[in-house]
Amino acid sequence: MIFKCKNCGGNAVYEPGRKRMYCPHCESLDSEDIVPDSSITQCVNCGAPINIGEYTSASKCAHCGSYIVFNERVEGVYEPHLILPFKINKDAAVEALNTEFKKRTFTPSGFLSEKSLEGMQGIYVPFWMYDYQAQYDFEGTATRVRTWTSGNTEYTETSYYDVERHMKAGFDKVPVDASLAMEDGEMDLMEPYTYEELEGFNPKYMSGFFGEVYNQSAPELEGRAKEKVRDASDKLMSQSLSGYSSVTPKSKQLNLERDGINYTLLPVWMYLYQYRGKTYRFHVNGQTGKVIGKTPVSKAKVLAYGLSAFVYVSAIVSLAIEILEVL
Amino acid sequence: MKEYFKFFRWVLLVIGILSVILLGINGLHNIMSKARYYERTNTECKTTQRVFDYADVLTDKEEQKLETLIAKREKQTCCDIVLVTLNESLKEYAREIEPGVSYDQFVRVFAEQFYEENNFGYNKANGDGVILVDNWYREDDGRIYTWFCTTGIVKDTYDDVSIDHILDRVYRDIESNPYLAYKTYVNDFYDDMMGSRFYDADVSKGLPFVIGVIAAVIFIVMNWKSRSGKDTTTAVTYVTGKRANFSNSKDLFLRKTVTKRHIETSSGSGGGGHSGGGGGGGSHGGGGHSR
Repeated sequence: MIFKCKNCGGNAVYEPGRKRMYCPHCESLDSEDIVPDSSITQCVNCGAPINIGEYTSASKCAHCGSYIVFNERVEGVYEPHLILPFKINKDAAVEALNTEFKKRTFTPSGFLSEKSLEGMQGIYVPFWMYDYQAQYDFEGTATRVRTWTSGNTEYTETSYYDVERHMKAGFDKVPVDASLAMEDGEMDLMEPYTYEELEGFNPKYMSGFFGEVYNQSAPELEGRAKEKVRDASDKLMSQSLSGYSSVTPKSKQLNLERDGINYTLLPVWMYLYQYRGKTYRFHVNGQTGKVIGKTPVSKAKVLAYGLSAFVYVSAIVSLAIEILEVL
Repeated sequence: MKEYFKFFRWVLLVIGILSVILLGINGLHNIMSKARYYERTNTECKTTQRVFDYADVLTDKEEQKLETLIAKREKQTCCDIVLVTLNESLKEYAREIEPGVSYDQFVRVFAEQFYEENNFGYNKANGDGVILVDNWYREDDGRIYTWFCTTGIVKDTYDDVSIDHILDRVYRDIESNPYLAYKTYVNDFYDDMMGSRFYDADVSKGLPFVIGVIAAVIFIVMNWKSRSGKDTTTAVTYVTGKRANFSNSKDLFLRKTVTKRHIETSSGSGGGGHSGGGGGGGSHGGGGHSR
């Protein structure tokens, strides 16, 4: 399908800054008409042949530049339950990137000025979101240690406890990316998204962006979701036992009962930069502006700062010792 | 450069604050030292000599250097500082004065007598001061004894632990370099009296370098490769209501154990303090070590 402006026939796209459909040709707002497509190999606007990937659900016609959302990739089994519309536009994403680059101290100074943009895309990345009810039963032995000194003797008092914890927690929409093209670690680092802005799926939000359908099924990826819930549950359990010096588990049992699964599209800006013959890939969370990606590192700068760290830390320790000596 | 100072701003601020604290403490220390200082008032002392190397373990030059150092430290501490080395049995001498006295106390008897007979003391005869007697003679029990005898305000300053500490430090170099050991005695006494040796400077001599190197290595390793970004999720990011419910939690006390560990303060054998009056009416404290 394509979203066409009623006023000028141009391609209407979703504009995150305005949070509305916008025609860049006649600048009309919310003037779109939906024109459905009948093929994923032909542009619904100009009829030119298009070549899309196995999982592509939204793309841009190389011939006429129209953004097309492929009906058969957003309907039936591929119809997302939820979508988080892009909140930041291209300019805001670039600003977020430049701010991040400046924050990264060891990025070579030439990177900002010499890098060239090789590619840029706003992509709706497919995610499976899992809901769980977790019940965690823990039994163990814990100790509290208290140490004090009297005269030339140091006393250590160790108190032993039997501890039991029964935790219940609901986990809501634990996300796992379902795109093979996106690196799992990078997508995990894009989190968290603010779920209050999730909406029921509407293809209009995809106009102006690229998109994919899920590459892997929900059961295939559930292991990763459970791992995230396990990690979080362990942390919560540890926090509840934080008053102890040591905790030795006797038994622990985590039961996860799945409540639901949502197929969701989440917004990601992807930028590719060329710098001295190498390509650097960055992802910007399309909602929060969080930047993920590796910048080049100036080894000379790291060594120079490391030397400074040596001098400053030595100076601090020397001064502290001097003060202790004088006191 | 701006970026550099921004990066290290907190470190530089800490250095600045510590420098100001150090300057302030030193200034205060100097003011207090000057306020405490006064000219020697003891007119009854029978000698101006302070180093009595009867064991001949020091060269003339070393004796002279120690005399010079002691003269300076006496003015700074307002205490007499005396050093005696011996190489003879004190058994008969000590037991004549104190019948039945044990081997480890021979040097104590000598030290107290020597101090009193010479009327040492900065403020008066048998007044404020210290004497270290190091007898290189191996007594019948096979040991060499040393005594650190305190009088007047020095007695109030030193407890058993601090006496053990200064004797430990003297004993560290005594066999290999007696001059260095006795110099340590004079300088450490000064530090203790001026209240300027809370921390063992020798232990910490290489510490800044070592910690600096460790910090630099950690810093370089951590920054050698770029990281993609930070994980900004928490344990409750996806938890409904941002909190977990804990029910029927139990914390049942079982038992308690207490272990004791003796803190070693002395590396020498023997030691211990002594308080009491000498034969000449002076009141001494002190402690000894043996090797």
